[in-house]
Amino acid sequence: MSEPLLSVRDLKTQFFTEDGTVRAVDGISFDVHEGEIVGLVGESGAGKSVATSSILRLVDSPGEIVGGEIEFKGETIFGLEEGDDGELRPRDQMLTETEMRKRIRGREIAIIFQDPMESLNPVFTIGGQLREFIEINRDLDAGEAKQEAIDMLREVGIPAPESRYDEYPHQFSGGMRQRVLIAMALACQPDLIIADEPTTALDVTVEGEILEMVKDLQEKYDTSFIWVTHDMSVVAEICDRVNVMYLGEIIEQAEVDDLFYDTKHPYTSALLDSMPRPDETLDELRPIQGVMPEAIDPPAGCRFHSRCPEAREVCREVHPEPRDLSEAGEAPHTAACVKHDAFDVGYDESPPIETRATGGFSAGFTETGGEAE
Amino acid sequence: MSLLRYTLRRIAQAIPVLIGIVTITFFLANQIPGDPVDIMLGPTPAQEQVEAIRAQYGLDRPIHERYLTYLAGVATGDLGLSIYYDRPVLEMILLRLPVTLLLMLSAFAFAIVTAIPLGVISAKRRNEPADHVSRIVSLIGVSTPSFWIGLVLIIVFAFHLGWFPARGLVLPWENPADVRGAATQFEVIRQSVHHLFLPMIGLGTLQMAQITRIERSSMVDSLQGEYVKLARAYGVPESTIVRKHAFQVAQLPVITIIGLGLSTALGGAVLTETVFEIQGMGRLIITAINNQDYQLIMGTTLVFGFVYVIGVIITDITYSYLDPRVTYGDD
Repeated sequence: MSEPLLSVRDLKTQFFTEDGTVRAVDGISFDVHEGEIVGLVGESGAGKSVATSSILRLVDSPGEIVGGEIEFKGETIFGLEEGDDGELRPRDQMLTETEMRKRIRGREIAIIFQDPMESLNPVFTIGGQLREFIEINRDLDAGEAKQEAIDMLREVGIPAPESRYDEYPHQFSGGMRQRVLIAMALACQPDLIIADEPTTALDVTVEGEILEMVKDLQEKYDTSFIWVTHDMSVVAEICDRVNVMYLGEIIEQAEVDDLFYDTKHPYTSALLDSMPRPDETLDELRPIQGVMPEAIDPPAGCRFHSRCPEAREVCREVHPEPRDLSEAGEAPHTAACVKHDAFDVGYDESPPIETRATGGFSAGFTETGGEAE
Repeated sequence: MSLLRYTLRRIAQAIPVLIGIVTITFFLANQIPGDPVDIMLGPTPAQEQVEAIRAQYGLDRPIHERYLTYLAGVATGDLGLSIYYDRPVLEMILLRLPVTLLLMLSAFAFAIVTAIPLGVISAKRRNEPADHVSRIVSLIGVSTPSFWIGLVLIIVFAFHLGWFPARGLVLPWENPADVRGAATQFEVIRQSVHHLFLPMIGLGTLQMAQITRIERSSMVDSLQGEYVKLARAYGVPESTIVRKHAFQVAQLPVITIIGLGLSTALGGAVLTETVFEIQGMGRLIITAINNQDYQLIMGTTLVFGFVYVIGVIITDITYSYLDPRVTYGDD
């Protein structure tokens, strides 16, 4: 396969809070190739949004990227090296903050946020906001940028874009606002668009329309996407390849069909099982037991062992790194679970963990892990 | 509905409020025990004299009749005759109102010009030293009475340092011939600014502190807004984000506070004028009350009410101009 557009290697982003260090993203690696829609899936608190803001180097304080490499089209968005004194310091090739702002953000990598109601500025017109971002990122003058904005609004299915150009966000419905945000991203003609749960806040019917539209536009403009979601049905609908995240780690990575039909990690299976299906009653629905532990003090061994139906004693001790489990000639399919023979750490001989279901609660797990989002 | 029609409607809505102010003021003023005539004529007046004067000012008529007469007078711009000054109330007010307005406007100008940058810097540098300083200054500002600030300013800058005059005011539009030590209009204005400086700070500090606090918290909010994150993600320079994206949204609560501040500033002006011996509305109202000058009490209170109502209308209109979500009330 050709050089990836975006390559993330062992990325670590941590939040230094009063309660301790939150390891929101803890060593994830993935690639995005040209024209691809790559999914980033997981429950809230898994670190998906932190991962995407790390790619733009827009992690809010007290968060900080502490390790790993992010390369985009041959440029170093983030990279450390060891200095003469043995301390880690940014590599010389790493883009400066100004270069990130002028060359990467918006221009090369655009983002669509989750909440269309809050993402647009309430006191400026839709058109004004679109035009400003187009002007900044496309070197067009005001008139050309306005024309581009109107064309783009038409492209994302906003009726009468000329007149709606001068309207304010509160005059648009949620679905329409999300279309505006998509127009914003596409109008800057980036190579990569990060869509951070863009349909989560929308009605299911609107969600369907928007996914349909994104698919069409993606083919037309050949833009790559990172699609962040917690919804497996959205993954099935739109993604080419999928990364499943759990507690700051990517635990399974595969092409979308392989992920659904040849699931390798118990967490992915659990996610798929927890999806309501028309051929099952509510009683048959199997939600994942327990709550995701806090990223501030992740469980030793496999991070999922406290909730995993297949956990054995060995899972408490061995922390599995993702391994490619695909057969020769198949597309890569990595998973981080010791139940696979490739790991060979004695899973089959190890006794099952007895108290896993209650353990999750008595240990006082709370939702605070969600703050790292 | 257009902004103009909205404005006109807001003004029309203010009329019942003003009638209410007139009514309450009238009956309250007339409930004050004692009689202006007693004060005028001293302890042992002749009975005929008292009656003559009561008749002259219409005080011998029943109260409802006087109320209706007064209401009709107000409607035609006649606020009656001041007993104490023996001049039309309106004339006295027109003489004093510009002084108070000048004082208030300069105090608000001072407050806005200092508070908005302070609040913005404070929010931008949250929990850094600059923020702590500005928060302490504004906390002291909101918790210190304006007359006390005025007195301290006089002691330090007028008495000890001698940089500014401690009392009186020169109006910038006065004729140079009437002002001591001023040959040209420019000199008059210079003196006016010199005189205004301390009372302006004395009256403006509270406003400044309040506006700073609101500006800060409002900017902190809007700087955390999703739309600010979006602008950052699209490569908008941080300075533009602060000046434009975050700033305009953040001004809505600030405008409300400035509008409400008008009423506190009117009260503060009374005290500040007393401390700095400025002949403005505040002193006039005190003279009126001390002398039970019914007509003057009613006239001055009415004008204060007017200024307040106008302040509220201006706030509403500015609000609807700045925030597109405010509708003009059409369905």
